[in-house]
Amino acid sequence: MANLSTSEILLGLVLTLPLISAIVSFLIPARYGWVSSLTAPVLLLVCTILSFILFFTSEALHVTASWFSIGTTEINFSLLLDAASRLMILVVSTVSFLVHLYSTGYMGYDTKITRYFGMLGLFTFSMMGIVLASQLILTFVFWELMGFSSYMLIGHWMEKPAAAKAAQKAFLFNRIGDAFMLIGILITWIHPAGSPDTFWQTTGVLCIFAGVVGKSAQLPLSFWLPDAMEGPTPVSALLHAATMVAAGVFLLIRINPLLTDTALTVIAITGISTALFGAVSALNQFDIKKILAYSTLSQLGLMITAIGIGAKDAALLHLFTHAFFKAGLFLAAGSVIHALSHQLNDQKKSDVQDIRNLGGLRKKLPVTFIVFCIAGASLAGLPMLSGFLSKDSILTAAWNLSIPSAQFIFTGLILIVSFVTVLYTFRLIRFVFFGNESQTTVHESPWVMRIPMIVCAVASGWFIVSVNPIHVSGWFANSFTGAETSLIASGLSAVTVLVAFIAGVLFYWRQPSPQSNSILQNSFGIDSFYQRTIGLAIVRLASAAEATDKRVLDGFLHFIAYTQVSVAHGIAWFDRYIVDGIVDTGARLVKSAGSLTRSFQGGRIQLYIFWAVAGLIIFLFFVLI
Amino acid sequence: MTHTLILSAILFATGLVTVIIKRNAIMVLIGIELMLNAANLNLIVFSRNNPSLSGQFLALFVIVVAVCEAAVGLAIVLRVYKYYQTSVPDQVHELKD
Amino acid sequence: MNLTEVALYAFEILAGAAALAILFVRNVFHAALLLIVCLTSLAGVFVIYNAEFIAVTQILVYAGGVLVLIIFGVMLSSRITGKPLLVSNQYLLPASFIGVLSTVIFIKLFSQQHFYQHPGAIPGNRISQTGIILMSDYVLPFEIAGILLLIALLGAAVIASSFNPKSNNGK
Repeated sequence: MANLSTSEILLGLVLTLPLISAIVSFLIPARYGWVSSLTAPVLLLVCTILSFILFFTSEALHVTASWFSIGTTEINFSLLLDAASRLMILVVSTVSFLVHLYSTGYMGYDTKITRYFGMLGLFTFSMMGIVLASQLILTFVFWELMGFSSYMLIGHWMEKPAAAKAAQKAFLFNRIGDAFMLIGILITWIHPAGSPDTFWQTTGVLCIFAGVVGKSAQLPLSFWLPDAMEGPTPVSALLHAATMVAAGVFLLIRINPLLTDTALTVIAITGISTALFGAVSALNQFDIKKILAYSTLSQLGLMITAIGIGAKDAALLHLFTHAFFKAGLFLAAGSVIHALSHQLNDQKKSDVQDIRNLGGLRKKLPVTFIVFCIAGASLAGLPMLSGFLSKDSILTAAWNLSIPSAQFIFTGLILIVSFVTVLYTFRLIRFVFFGNESQTTVHESPWVMRIPMIVCAVASGWFIVSVNPIHVSGWFANSFTGAETSLIASGLSAVTVLVAFIAGVLFYWRQPSPQSNSILQNSFGIDSFYQRTIGLAIVRLASAAEATDKRVLDGFLHFIAYTQVSVAHGIAWFDRYIVDGIVDTGARLVKSAGSLTRSFQGGRIQLYIFWAVAGLIIFLFFVLI
Repeated sequence: MTHTLILSAILFATGLVTVIIKRNAIMVLIGIELMLNAANLNLIVFSRNNPSLSGQFLALFVIVVAVCEAAVGLAIVLRVYKYYQTSVPDQVHELKD
Repeated sequence: MNLTEVALYAFEILAGAAALAILFVRNVFHAALLLIVCLTSLAGVFVIYNAEFIAVTQILVYAGGVLVLIIFGVMLSSRITGKPLLVSNQYLLPASFIGVLSTVIFIKLFSQQHFYQHPGAIPGNRISQTGIILMSDYVLPFEIAGILLLIALLGAAVIASSFNPKSNNGK
């Protein structure tokens, strides 16, 4: 241990500090729950600072230790710190710290605060683990840990039936993906990269991709993400914007060398269809958090598309920028909810998250408004902001595709997605912050909530990515050598955004209240289709299994039971008549021998004589003859 | 003289069987007299070949003892009969225990 | 075969038959009478075997003493119930087995041996010699036997009498 370098110690600290935070939070008794809202952010702050130091100083690191061995196969516990994971630990620790800080305000009066912070710490730890692990089995361990902690966080308000159901749904959808992922890991283990068997390689990678689909909420496993908005808003910001859903994208970046051409095609098609689906769905939602959730779906779809068309650095860049501006949007939405939740009882409004109940908040919540605008503009891809740059790099990658048909299809679809993105962002801001003032007494959120929002808004600027506001280059871009933007793509993107903005103004500005298509609002009915087909089929299957269980298995068990009982009866019979019989026979023999000898002493003189003479005769018989 | 010895064997066996099977004390005494006489017969037979006559004298004393035995035995029988109202020896269980 | 042998055989058969008859009669009185026959026949056998003194004693003591005692006993027992004393049998099978077995063993033993005559033995009447020896060599056993007889008769009288020294109203 003595020859550990500073970087390695830092790496270990960055990985374990969230876990320590979680343990500390769990150890604090519920009565002193407020202590955990001090310790957790401080520990995460230290973690963030350390990851900054690591980011700016460290070289690529590869820490390997022997973990366990199966037969002759050695399984290593190995952590890898390369350019991508260095960036990711920075994002994870920063956003996690911001969310921790924000939570101290947002969750201040929650009774289960220790459990909340504990799970948040555990979640951050597992995300760090996924980012740093350079070994698929280790990744899978952290992956499952993250699934568990996200389940706990979504269902934090478990007394709400919707939250409990959403947590179950998220867990189940993730399980489908995870099962495939485990299969894929094992297939990949047997057929590693470079082996000639392309079919099995593709199968393995696609199975792992199924896990990514579950975790990153791609089609067809998307529908848990909008429901997961039942969790606390900071959780949504952390899990469903910055980290957890991004884990899938990051995993795809990590296993990029394994991806075959077929797998890439599948990934690209899945990604772009999810992007379209999410964007269109977001346009038709009323719930402020659900709009953001569908938007996240859409953006994740874009990242997956980028990986599918071979631009993993563009995907990473978009992941990075998206983490900040989407976290900012969620935190701002949380600020709105927090500000209005006190009005809930007075106004008799059913739902403060419904944008039909909101409006005109820009003067009451100026900080929130500004943050929302900046982050939303970044999401929409307005120039001078980080989202513009990252989206452009994806667009450029699509534009540079060698196959002409694919080039036009993907470029066009991505442009449509960004067009719709601008529309739903504009719609959201329009109906939340402009329009009629329906709320009377609202107040801006406390400073512990405002600071993280502001930090996220600032991080949505172009300058953290590149010196040039319309071209990826400069100090930061060294991490993404592959991500580049072309002037044509930038131009196309800018024009699309501008047209969309004008369209949005024309369409939405005069609309008094938000409209929606009910089919689109319900995610094209796919979710209820799942309910009706798969859910029903599973219920049928379950009742069939129950019937089988009752008739066949129970019958079998009863048969075994009866057999055992009759065998036991047989044994009892054996015991009673054979074993006991032997003993009894012995006793009876002794008894009869006793009564035989007793009969000689019966006081009958003639019998005495008889026996005496008999003995004498026997004596004579043997002696004299 | 062998036939006389055979007679003594028969007498002895008869006396023995009488002692065992008869359910009457007087019959038992009769059996005893038979056995004693079987012995006496043997003594007499063998003393013919012996000049010392001691066999005859032993027979004489056996007869005397037999008389004593018969007298005392019958007295006891009568006494038992009066006491137990039976003359079946096996029904007198006083020896038991 | 002379007259002596015929007499011997006759006496022997009579004695054996009477003894066997005792086994089969059920009346005690008959059994006692059969015993007299048997003992008297034996006395005859004794005479033939040159033991006249013993034969006479046999007749005197048994026929005159023992038999009278037995018959008195029988009469005293049956006096209480008032009917003839009938006797039942017991242990028939094992007893007869033992009887047959002992007979066979004795006959086999006797037939195996060869009895020879002592060189100094004098055949013929030795009754005077018997008297002399009895009064000289065997006088002490003779006297002791007399005392034994006396004591036995006294004891028998005491036992058989119903006199109870503790209760004065004895018969």
